[in-house]
Amino acid sequence: MNIELSEMSEQLRQRRAAAVDDGRDAATKISIEALDFFYGDSKALHTIDMKIPEKRVTAMIGPSGCGKSTLLRVLNRMYDLYPGQKAEGRVLLDGEDILSPDVPAAALRRRVGMVFQKPTPFPMSIRDNIAFGIKLGEKVSKSELDDRIEWSLTKAALWNEVKDRLHSSAVGLSGGQQQRLCIARTVAVKPEVVLLDEPTSALDPISTARIEELIDELKSEFTIVIVTHNMQQAARCSDMTGFFLLGKLIEFGPTSDIFTAPKDERTQDYITGRFG
Amino acid sequence: MTVDSSTAPTVSSVAAASLTKRGHVDVGDGVFRFALNAAAVAVLVILGAIVVLLFKGGFPALKEFGLGFFLSTDWNPVTEHYGAGVMLYGTLITSLIAMVLAFPASLGIALFLTEVAPERLRRPIGTAIQLLAAIPSIIYGMWGFFVVSPLMASTVQPFLTSIFGPIPLIGVLFSGAPVGTGILTAGLILALMIMPFITAMFVEIFTSVPPVLKEAAYGVGATMNEVFRAVTIPYGRTALVGAVMLGLGRALGETMAVTFVIGNANRIAATLYSPGASIASTIANEFPEAGPGSMKLHALLELGFSLFVISFLVLALARALVRNRMEG
Repeated sequence: MNIELSEMSEQLRQRRAAAVDDGRDAATKISIEALDFFYGDSKALHTIDMKIPEKRVTAMIGPSGCGKSTLLRVLNRMYDLYPGQKAEGRVLLDGEDILSPDVPAAALRRRVGMVFQKPTPFPMSIRDNIAFGIKLGEKVSKSELDDRIEWSLTKAALWNEVKDRLHSSAVGLSGGQQQRLCIARTVAVKPEVVLLDEPTSALDPISTARIEELIDELKSEFTIVIVTHNMQQAARCSDMTGFFLLGKLIEFGPTSDIFTAPKDERTQDYITGRFG
Repeated sequence: MTVDSSTAPTVSSVAAASLTKRGHVDVGDGVFRFALNAAAVAVLVILGAIVVLLFKGGFPALKEFGLGFFLSTDWNPVTEHYGAGVMLYGTLITSLIAMVLAFPASLGIALFLTEVAPERLRRPIGTAIQLLAAIPSIIYGMWGFFVVSPLMASTVQPFLTSIFGPIPLIGVLFSGAPVGTGILTAGLILALMIMPFITAMFVEIFTSVPPVLKEAAYGVGATMNEVFRAVTIPYGRTALVGAVMLGLGRALGETMAVTFVIGNANRIAATLYSPGASIASTIANEFPEAGPGSMKLHALLELGFSLFVISFLVLALARALVRNRMEG
């Protein structure tokens, strides 16, 4: 066990060292251009411009109400569900404007998956939770489905814990397991981008550590955008960091730069804990 | 030291004062506790008294006719022979029709109100449904008798016969003379009466589904329809079953409206157009003519007792279902 753990952290360290190429040189996966967002009449985001690199972890930090979660909900058009909320500007996913009404929201959300602040297991068995998303979009045989379920649960580091009780209710899992199940469910539909909205804020430190390890694993295959209140978390697991304040993107750059040499005074104040 | 000795008396007098004060509060608590206990016990006493008196009142009929009372379809005051078969059938079948009609309608209305309807339509429609629930049952009865029954006889029943008539087995249900008043009309009126009730509960249940759970389903690419089926309905399923059963309980016991439109005939026929009788309608119709101590009175009380038992069974079944589904 100990050996395993130390091996894991060693691997992590190596990967970190190898990943000095942070977001700077990566291809752009999502390009946000002059994005404004409105809740009814009140403006929540002001001309956001941001290039989210492919297969990297991009963190969004900032005090409550700064618009970082709002921005996340634009990226998979979740705001669409609520009349009165609207986005203006362009959000290009591989060059295609996802804000265009020609892009069906359901199809978009299969490409851009989301994990929420609180674990959201569906009221069904563990297996069905994963199978639900897969079966929505694809015709798969029973054995393919089983493979995918095992694959995604393994990806989410949950397979060994649940493989013997796939048919029991997902609601019976612990909070940390539920959150990993939600990650597995998101990964199972093979999205290109995974959005994480404060995924560990409802979890204990050990579960949090597991999820952070997981994020590190997942970025080899997915573009990850994480909103977090926890600055250490942003520093630990992201390649790029954006700092938001009052609906504006104050500073955006490689995580190491943001945390060691921020260009903006407000970023400096925030990361040193002077406010927020 | 000096400080200690000087403050000691003060402390003890404060303690004494607070003790007497606390004693006073204890009396109030005792009264309050007694009142609560009395209220709780009263429920059990009243329930027990009703069960005992109904059983005692109906027992002579049970002794006279045995279990055949529940099977016999003969209800004859002249020969003093009474059987509950027709009323049991009428009660169950009208309630069943009501459920079959009301359940999908309520589900549809509730989903419309919670998910689809534009914000400005939700309140008016929701209020209208609640007002529908506030209409006294005798109004439903009169409306059913003067408006719905003629309409059933002239239009709806001939139409149903033309559609279902030729189908084997099912056709029998929709055969015979379209007379208007009868089992089908009673079921329809019952459905209208319990629909607002069930709808209101469904709306409550659907609005209690956490939005983030629905968002999670939308998040893996589900459409509105898929979110209903996979998340909204399963999330509330236990409560949904409970709501349906409560509606069923209402339908079983409903008296006035059914008495108006069921036709009050002591007969069982295969066709749903046939007039019939329910337990409640029979009691309402015949109670005034049942002399004290007569076998008829005993038979009616026994009918009442069986209605009580049926309602109790429905509730028990609801609970069992709810428990099974929760474990499943």
